[in-house]
Amino acid sequence: MKSNRNKIELIIVAIAAVILIVLLPALNAAGVVSNFTMSVWGKYLCYAILAISVDLLWGYTGLLSLGQSLFFALGGYMMGMHLMRMIGDLGQYKKPIPDFLVFLGWEQLPAFWVPFSSLVFSMLMVIALPAIVATGFGYLAFRSRIKGVYFSILTQALTYGAALMFFRNDMLLGGNNGFTDFKFLLGADVRAAGTQRGLFIATAIVLIAVYGFCRWLTTTKFGLVQRAVRDSETRVLFSGYAAANYKLFVFVICAIIAGVAGALYVPQVGIINPSEMQTDKSLEIIVWVAVGGRGTLLGPVVGAVVINALKSWATRAYPDLWLLMLGGLFILVVLFMPKGIVGLPAQIRGLLKRKQTPSALATDTAAATP
Amino acid sequence: MIKLIFAVLLSWLLGASIYAATPREIIAKALLIEDSEEQAKLVTSLGDSDPQEVIALLTLWKEGGIFLNVDAAGAKVPVTLDEEKDGEGKQLAHRFDTGAAVGKLLASDLNAAETDSALRLAMKSVLDMAQLSSPDAKKRQEAVETMGSEQDPERLPALLARQTRETDSRVKRAIREAIALIQLKDENDAVKIAACNELGAIRSIPSQDALKAIVAEATAESKTNLANAAQLALNEIAKHVTFVNTAGTAFRGLSLGSILLVVAIGLAITFGLMGVINMAHGEMIAIGAYTTYVVQCVFGPGLELSPFGIHIALPGMNATGTLYNCYFVLALPLSFLTAALAGIALERGIIRFLYRRPLESLLATWGVSLVLQQLFRLTFGANNVQVSSPSWLSGNWTVNDVLFGWNRVFVIVFAVAIVFGVTMLLKKTPLGLLIRAVMQNRQMAACMGVRTERVNMLTFALGSGLAGLAGAFISQIGNVGPSLGQLYIVDCFMTVVVGGVGNLIGTVISALGIGMLDQSLQQILGNPVLGKILVLLGIILFLQWKPAGLFVTKSRSLEN
Repeated sequence: MKSNRNKIELIIVAIAAVILIVLLPALNAAGVVSNFTMSVWGKYLCYAILAISVDLLWGYTGLLSLGQSLFFALGGYMMGMHLMRMIGDLGQYKKPIPDFLVFLGWEQLPAFWVPFSSLVFSMLMVIALPAIVATGFGYLAFRSRIKGVYFSILTQALTYGAALMFFRNDMLLGGNNGFTDFKFLLGADVRAAGTQRGLFIATAIVLIAVYGFCRWLTTTKFGLVQRAVRDSETRVLFSGYAAANYKLFVFVICAIIAGVAGALYVPQVGIINPSEMQTDKSLEIIVWVAVGGRGTLLGPVVGAVVINALKSWATRAYPDLWLLMLGGLFILVVLFMPKGIVGLPAQIRGLLKRKQTPSALATDTAAATP
Repeated sequence: MIKLIFAVLLSWLLGASIYAATPREIIAKALLIEDSEEQAKLVTSLGDSDPQEVIALLTLWKEGGIFLNVDAAGAKVPVTLDEEKDGEGKQLAHRFDTGAAVGKLLASDLNAAETDSALRLAMKSVLDMAQLSSPDAKKRQEAVETMGSEQDPERLPALLARQTRETDSRVKRAIREAIALIQLKDENDAVKIAACNELGAIRSIPSQDALKAIVAEATAESKTNLANAAQLALNEIAKHVTFVNTAGTAFRGLSLGSILLVVAIGLAITFGLMGVINMAHGEMIAIGAYTTYVVQCVFGPGLELSPFGIHIALPGMNATGTLYNCYFVLALPLSFLTAALAGIALERGIIRFLYRRPLESLLATWGVSLVLQQLFRLTFGANNVQVSSPSWLSGNWTVNDVLFGWNRVFVIVFAVAIVFGVTMLLKKTPLGLLIRAVMQNRQMAACMGVRTERVNMLTFALGSGLAGLAGAFISQIGNVGPSLGQLYIVDCFMTVVVGGVGNLIGTVISALGIGMLDQSLQQILGNPVLGKILVLLGIILFLQWKPAGLFVTKSRSLEN
């Protein structure tokens, strides 16, 4: 049964991979699929990568982090800095440094901006910065055995503090407005259909790779310990495992994944600003995962795509009601669909079975509690 | 000799008759005299009359509002004109001395009563004097302060004259300060040094710039004595400024701490005692604030709302004065009640299914918070609504140059009252006993026959109601808008977590500590945002040292 389901999931993923990496770009190049659709789906795929990282933390390790949007934005900012350097002297002020620096009265590039002219360095930073922040924070948090809700609240505070910091102009990272008006990436016009298609393919490949990596990670012994930590950390500790190290490792991995998603997101959307790292965004990612189905790897991807497609439609059709829908949907999912969309078939089967044998009710509800 | 006595008597009588005349009569007389010296004398004699009237009349004269009309008999009559003009541009004229109407006149036909420089000088000193004799001590103080800051030597006599008669201690101090400031401009160095000493002695903060100028000037002219005196005064004042800043920071820290305490105490109950993560706690605060707004509107001009196209009109009482100022007294219990009812609905509808899944109560209540925010937006609009403070909350006291806003003082008093009330409720009432029993051991309490479901509901209602009360307060201090709750939610959780879950005293101490730290850092760094970031960082580091907060509830359970 289990291997059967795995096989089905593998087939689905393989088909999706072919569609995303080959078919859609080809159709776009042929002019069948519009550039707009491509850019929208490119965004969804970035969100899907981000959602997987949240799921690995929450669904598999039981760590509800409200700081994933911070790592996403950090990755985005690192990429954004490179893109800002690539504008060269084509900005409003026709100066070789980014416009907002000219506006702030800078004549020369601040030292920490200089290395971002190199794409390789920027990509390294996309990985390194979230990893460093996550290591520092995670080390402190897990060492003092902060867990559960406290961990959520602390990550929320971290994100909140970081957003406050990035809103400041003297961070020299664009303040409120962040970075925008990107022009070139690897010498090509970043807004051209061809470049966007390339970015789309890259995003799809990263998504499949991240999926594969997480799939592999969760089947290893590491993955088992990880899930054991989620279910009963105390028992893991008593069995002689350093739970804190396991958690730290997952936390850092997830920060890196989120950072990469952010780096892919920025050139496709064309803007990054501190509102991306507010706690609301983190909670929104959690909605995707919860709706899609946590504790599975397909769930977050489905959730991210479905919720964002819904959002795109609803914010146009019923702009006033979108937040009501999102909030209401979230409440319903938490209350009635703890396994999300992906777990829905199993839940329905369970309900049918329960009708036949009402005595199974007690054990079922107990199983639903993590 | 007899002649002399007679002359003195006559002049005394004359003087007495002038003294008895109203300012209007004196001015009317002065208007008709040609000789400006005589005019100046008469004007100067106004010094002892009712200051308000003198100010009004002299200002009218100075600004050319009094005209000289030649009547049928050929005599000059001072008149004033009404604002209103008829079809021919004529205005109704009144005799200046009696106020009787003298018919309609054309302004361009008349000559305005003139003033020359000697007369204007006399007027100015009388006006200064009049301002200094205003019955309102606040106005007197303001007048004295302006005179001091202008450093005009011509005003010195008026101030000196006032000094002997002044009774109000604040105004007295202001006069001393103003006189010393003016004396800094004196020719004589000895007077200047005396003025410097005086300013140092009364620790006059506004005189710092003037003193610095004196120091620079005296050093340039190598007058060591004067420079030293001014520097000494400056040092004295600088010490005082440090004191004022420290005291002000301590007060602001205390009031910010009280605000944190007021907003967090509800959370200390729902999160601390019940273990429910209510992300909609901020929206409960907003419910309280909006209730205050609605109550205010009902006391005032009424309110029209149209959520979802449904039109709701609340009639207004159009109350003014004391009755309007009382709206806040009614708003407090109503805010508590509305928020408590919302809390009950939330607990019955959602949270009771999630008691065993705390992380998921976080998520579901976040959904609720989104929905509520959007409902506020749709009902009251996306912009902030205007909540005005009752007059008894909008003044301030200044003690020794430290400003105490009444609303901030009130928040402190209110925080003390709330903490006292909640402690009494938990420790001294049957409900409090049940709450504590259920929170300590739910199963055991249920076995003893406590209806735990009902206690849960009431506890949650209490926590939400307290949030509502906090909202009523926030509305007096900050903006009221749909995202009001988001401003406070992070701070609320921080306060409770640092204080230690399940302990009200911990919340009190942590709220005051965070408030003080925040304000001190703001004072030191001169930057509110940086201060806030450092506080957050400080909290994360603090939890390294005490992971369960300041006060730990002892438990044998492994998971807690």
